[in-house]
Amino acid sequence: INMDPLFLAWSYFRRRKFQLCADVCSKILEENPFDQDAENTSLASEAAWSLKTRALTETVYIDEVDVDHEGIAEMLDENAIAQVARPGTSLKLPGTSQGGGPTPSVRPMTHAGRPVTGFVRPSTQSGRPGTMEQAIKTPRTGHTARPVTSASGRYVRLGTASMLTSPEGPFLNMSRLNLSKYAQMPNLSKSLFEYIFHNENDIKNATDLAALATEHAQFKDWWWKVQLGKCYYRLGLHREAEKQFKSALSQQEMVDAFLYLAKVYQRLDQPLTALNLFKQGLDRFPGEVTLLTGIARIHEEMNNIASATEYYKEVLKQDNTHVEAIACIGSNHFYTDQPEIALRFYRNRRLLQMGVYNCQLYNNLGLCCFYAQQYDMTLTSFERALSLVANDEELADVWYNLGHVAVGIGDLNLAYQCFKLALANNNDHAEAYNNLAVLELRKGRVEQAKAFLQTASSLAPHMYEPHFNFAALSDKV
Amino acid sequence: MPEVKSMFREVLPKQGQLSMEDVPTMVLCKPKLLPLKSVTLEKLEKMQQETQELVRQQEMALREQMHQEQPG
Repeated sequence: INMDPLFLAWSYFRRRKFQLCADVCSKILEENPFDQDAENTSLASEAAWSLKTRALTETVYIDEVDVDHEGIAEMLDENAIAQVARPGTSLKLPGTSQGGGPTPSVRPMTHAGRPVTGFVRPSTQSGRPGTMEQAIKTPRTGHTARPVTSASGRYVRLGTASMLTSPEGPFLNMSRLNLSKYAQMPNLSKSLFEYIFHNENDIKNATDLAALATEHAQFKDWWWKVQLGKCYYRLGLHREAEKQFKSALSQQEMVDAFLYLAKVYQRLDQPLTALNLFKQGLDRFPGEVTLLTGIARIHEEMNNIASATEYYKEVLKQDNTHVEAIACIGSNHFYTDQPEIALRFYRNRRLLQMGVYNCQLYNNLGLCCFYAQQYDMTLTSFERALSLVANDEELADVWYNLGHVAVGIGDLNLAYQCFKLALANNNDHAEAYNNLAVLELRKGRVEQAKAFLQTASSLAPHMYEPHFNFAALSDKV
Repeated sequence: MPEVKSMFREVLPKQGQLSMEDVPTMVLCKPKLLPLKSVTLEKLEKMQQETQELVRQQEMALREQMHQEQPG
C-alpha cells in the first residue's frame, strides 16, 4: 500500500528531512501543477506548493535576529547627528572603558580595538572597525574582510545556493509571480514571503509582498508588520523599520519584535535607547533570556565588562546551558587573573552536553589548565584541540597558544617552533610575529627582531605590543 | 643551621639612597582564548562550505564534459 504522498511529505517535514520533503512535493506538483490563476486548482496541489516553499525555506533558514552584516556602504551613515558622540552613548567609541574591565595589557584586542569576547556571532565577526579608514584597511587579512555592502555579503551567496541544486532552474520564477494575488491568500502568503526572504533573498519583492499583505489584512496583523520591518531593515531604511516594529508592538507584544526593534536602535548607534527597550521588554516578559542577553551584549560592546558579566550571570540563572553566557563569563575570569574560575566555566559539563565539542573549547581548556597550574590536563587538551581544528586560522591560534605554554615552562626552543608553526599556518598572525621578535632578541639577532616587529605593527596597528617593543629596542641600540 | 646563618647575613641599608634602574623589557602578546561560535554562525559557515563544495563539483563535472566533447 502506498502512503498518500502529501502525508508522506508532511511526515518528512516534521522529521526535518527537508530535501526529501521538497522532492515528494515536486512530484505531486508535476502530476497536477499549481496554477494561481486557474480557478480549478486542487487543494492538494496548493498544499504541496505551500509545503515545498516551507521545506526549502527551512533548509537555508537562519535566525534573522542574529544576522547582521555591516558592509562598508553602511558605514556612510546618514543618520548620525554628531560626528563625535558623548562618552557612554555610542557603540562606536571603543576607547572609553567605564566598567573597570581589564586593560589591553592583559586582555587582547580585536581589530576594532575592542577587548576580545568569549563568543562570536555573525554581527560581531566583522569586528566593526570604527572609522572608514580602518574598514578599508582591514580587508588586507582575508578572513576579516568586510563586504562592500551588506547586500553583497553572505546573503546573496546563500540565496543563489538553492538554484544550483535543481537542474531545472529555480522553484519559483520571481518575475512571473503575481504578488498582489498571493497577498490576498493568507494561507499561502506567509510561507511564500519567508521563501522569498530567506531563499531568494529578493528583498525588494519580499517588501512588495509584505506591503500588499499588510494592506490586505487592514493593518491588523502584527506578523506582517514585523516582516515589513525586517525588509526595511535589510534595505537600510531604519526609521521606517522602527515605525513598523513599534506599530507591531503596540498591537501585540512579542519578544521577537522587541529584539528586532533593539537591533534597529543598535544600528542607529543608540545603545541607551536599545537598553531602555530591553528593560521594557523584560517588564513584559520577566526573565526572558534573549532580552537579558541583548542587554549584556550592549554593555559588552560599550566596554562595560563588569555590568555585562552581571547580566550574563542573570542569564545563567534563567538558563544554565546558555553557551554565550558561559563563554563570556569564562573569558572574563581568565583575563581578570582568575584562570581557575574560568576553568570551572569551560570545563562545565553543560557545554559538552550542548554539543560544543570543538577546537576552541579545548584550546581554552588547555590555556586555563596551564594558568591554573593543572599541568596534567594542559597538553592533552591542546592535543585534542589540534585534532579538532577546522581551518588554518584555528590551527595557527592553537600553535600560538602552545607557544605561550612553552614560554611558561621555559622551553624557548619549543616556543620558537610553536610561533613559527603559527606563522606557517596563518601568515597574518601579528601576535606570533611580535612574540617571535622577542625570542629573536633574546638570541641577540637584532635585525631579525626589528623586521618581525615591523611586520607585526603593520599587520595589526591596534596592538600596542609591537610598537612598545620597537621603541624599547630602538632605545637600547 | 647556625653556620650558614653566620655566612650569609642580610644587608639592610639603614641610610643613604636606594636607587633602582627601570629597564624596559620586551612584552609578549597575551595568550588568546578563542571565542566559541554561535549556532547561527556555525550554520552559516556550514551552508557556505556546502555551497562552495557543490559549485566546485559542478564546475569539475562541466570541465570533464568539455574534455570529453573536445576529442570526439
